[in-house]
Amino acid sequence: MKRGLAVILAVFMLIGLLAGCSGEQKAEAEKTKDGKVIVDFWTFWGSETRRPIIEKIIDDYNNSQDKVFVKHTFLPWGDIWTKNLASVAAGNPADVIVNDINTVAQRAENKQVEDLSQYIDDSFKQKFYPHLWETVEYDGKSYAVPFNTDTRLLFYNKTAFKEAGLDPEKPPATWAELEEYAKKLDIKNGDKYERVGFYPLWGSVGASSWMTNADDGNGFIEDGELSINTPKKVEAMNWIIDWKKRLGEKTVQAFQAEFGSEQANPFIAGKVAMWVDVGTFYTQLRDYGQDVEFGVAPIPAYEEGSGNWAEGGGFVVEIPKGAKHPEEAMDFIKYLTDVEAQKHWSVKNYDNVANIEAAEAALNELQGPDKMVYEASVKNLEQTKMFPVPVEYPDYHSRLNPHIDNALLGKTTPEKALKQAEEDIEKMKK
Amino acid sequence: MKSSESTLVHTETGSKVIRGSKTIETARTKGLSRKAKDNLAGYLFISPWLIGFLGLTLGPLLFSLAASFTDYNITSKMNFIGLDNYKRMFTMDDLFRTSLFNTVYYVIFSVPLTTAGAIVLAVLLNQKIKGMKFFRTIYYLPAVLSGVAVYFLWMQLLSPSTGLVNTMLGWFGIEGPAWLFDPEWTKPALLMMKMWSVGGGMLLYLAIMQGVSPQMYEAADIEGASPWQKFYYITLPMISPIIFFDVITSTIGAFQIFQEAYVMTENGSGGPGNSLLFYNLHMWNNAFEVFDMGYASAMAWLLFIIVMVLTAVNMKLGKRWVHYEGGDGK
Repeated sequence: MKRGLAVILAVFMLIGLLAGCSGEQKAEAEKTKDGKVIVDFWTFWGSETRRPIIEKIIDDYNNSQDKVFVKHTFLPWGDIWTKNLASVAAGNPADVIVNDINTVAQRAENKQVEDLSQYIDDSFKQKFYPHLWETVEYDGKSYAVPFNTDTRLLFYNKTAFKEAGLDPEKPPATWAELEEYAKKLDIKNGDKYERVGFYPLWGSVGASSWMTNADDGNGFIEDGELSINTPKKVEAMNWIIDWKKRLGEKTVQAFQAEFGSEQANPFIAGKVAMWVDVGTFYTQLRDYGQDVEFGVAPIPAYEEGSGNWAEGGGFVVEIPKGAKHPEEAMDFIKYLTDVEAQKHWSVKNYDNVANIEAAEAALNELQGPDKMVYEASVKNLEQTKMFPVPVEYPDYHSRLNPHIDNALLGKTTPEKALKQAEEDIEKMKK
Repeated sequence: MKSSESTLVHTETGSKVIRGSKTIETARTKGLSRKAKDNLAGYLFISPWLIGFLGLTLGPLLFSLAASFTDYNITSKMNFIGLDNYKRMFTMDDLFRTSLFNTVYYVIFSVPLTTAGAIVLAVLLNQKIKGMKFFRTIYYLPAVLSGVAVYFLWMQLLSPSTGLVNTMLGWFGIEGPAWLFDPEWTKPALLMMKMWSVGGGMLLYLAIMQGVSPQMYEAADIEGASPWQKFYYITLPMISPIIFFDVITSTIGAFQIFQEAYVMTENGSGGPGNSLLFYNLHMWNNAFEVFDMGYASAMAWLLFIIVMVLTAVNMKLGKRWVHYEGGDGK
């Protein structure tokens, strides 16, 4: 009797296990009780600030019609895209997902994302900044819709400017002025720096941004051609190395190791007087740096008139390959990237949105310092370059960065480093 | 209910159940022998594990072996490309060499250092001193803590100017390096971090040391052996099976180092000048950043072969120095 029971028990366990694996529940969950199609929307916006904003937009959409119900799924940064890939491969992806703006072509090439061309006409395209729309096109088709973008600005401490005898209404306009101002803003106590005027690699900016800035806005790969080892880029690296030499390796490392965000941010804490960051850095300044009197300006130009080139990033919304409800998903995407939703996102986040009309409308709603920073960032989009990763060189960053690192660490010269990087990347062409 | 008929027999050692012969006949008439039934029940009971193993371990394992000969990218491609992935590792991928070098460097230093560290600690904690339990707990504690929180703690400790490590060096007039920011010092910093958690190995050594018979030490005392001689001629051979086990498992573990570098370097990039780009991190980047799953699979299998060979060598060498009490070592 006992043995018989054991066998029966084991069989039940097995059935339970198999039932647990099956996708029965999923099929039921695709429609709500009142018959609306459920569209699953994956984002990484789970923070206290962002989550309510995106959820309000979703609620507004859900209330605006009676065919689709959008369900928000939050996945942490870093996990979201690995999970997306796995679910695309398994044939059971989300319906809409927020993804990186610079790698749309990669996903199109690898068939991880749906072609949206059939839903998109020219009048729709024209709603967005052209430099953003370019990133979502691949092989003449559109694979995503731009959602937001960013640009880099120079934040400077006006109080420190006054102390150093500089005009707080005249931020540095060129690299030469930047150096001159920075030296005046340094405060040294014996060997130790108490305040550093400026260091080009701190903030949301890297060597590549300065190299682009010097090189008339040209990136490392322009129209499929490598443009890594150019005289201007070599010069930019030497310029960065000079900064490091002047401040000393120890000062740079010591400062850098202690950087944090919010109150511990060195610009907010008054330890660094000029700081390059994205427009939304303003929210930290507003919330944690009430006493900081600051101004914003475009990144200084390499020389007068050469352009205040800045690097841009951002996110798109797209439909993963194999999504069950592409039509409904696209309806939601259109709402998400239209004026009302984009304006709301923009006003609440001070974020640069992709929809031109929404960006301009947001400007009219803002006031005071909110408006000052937002206006500067919108204006800066004209001098912002996107660097979508070319499909021929999917991992060129991993080849380039170590060489740049080595040159900045003094292990090799910028000339040799960039020459080597160009050769390495050439070899990896697909 | 014939099958439940049984006789309770009282014996000298207690009582046991003897089933009647009818039971066996009943089972046979149902078509399955008792043994087959027992086996079936056994397999059914372990079936969750069996299914898990076949579906979640063996299946993917074989799949990745197959994928290593293709240009599989998870979503669209899976063309057979022969040994191209393996060739690419040795002829085209500089980062492969860097990552292999970094990993081997880490293995070469971390395995002997942690083994020796654990033994020394175990010897110290094997003394009969009051309050020893407290110290044993304290030294074991870091082995319990693990994961990302510990790496963040170490990032604070290793901070160049305000970190505790450099502050303490400063007391002795030594200016500490920038640790995780200086490519020359990143790997030593990770080794130092690893030493902190030798408590796990220590516990194993402590357990086996407690089992070494005191008569041997007494005999050695009578012969006038020094503490060092006692350690070298008695303790070391007696704990050699655990040393053997520890060396093999920590070698395998060290080859798989990933988390530390992924968490502690900017964006999981592998640190300044790729000084912390370990084999598994490079493999992960290929798999999940570039989606070159075929190439990553090939890397995984090469690592498997390397670890297999090294373990086989260890096993072979182990016969020479591992002492099994009461056995011939086989």
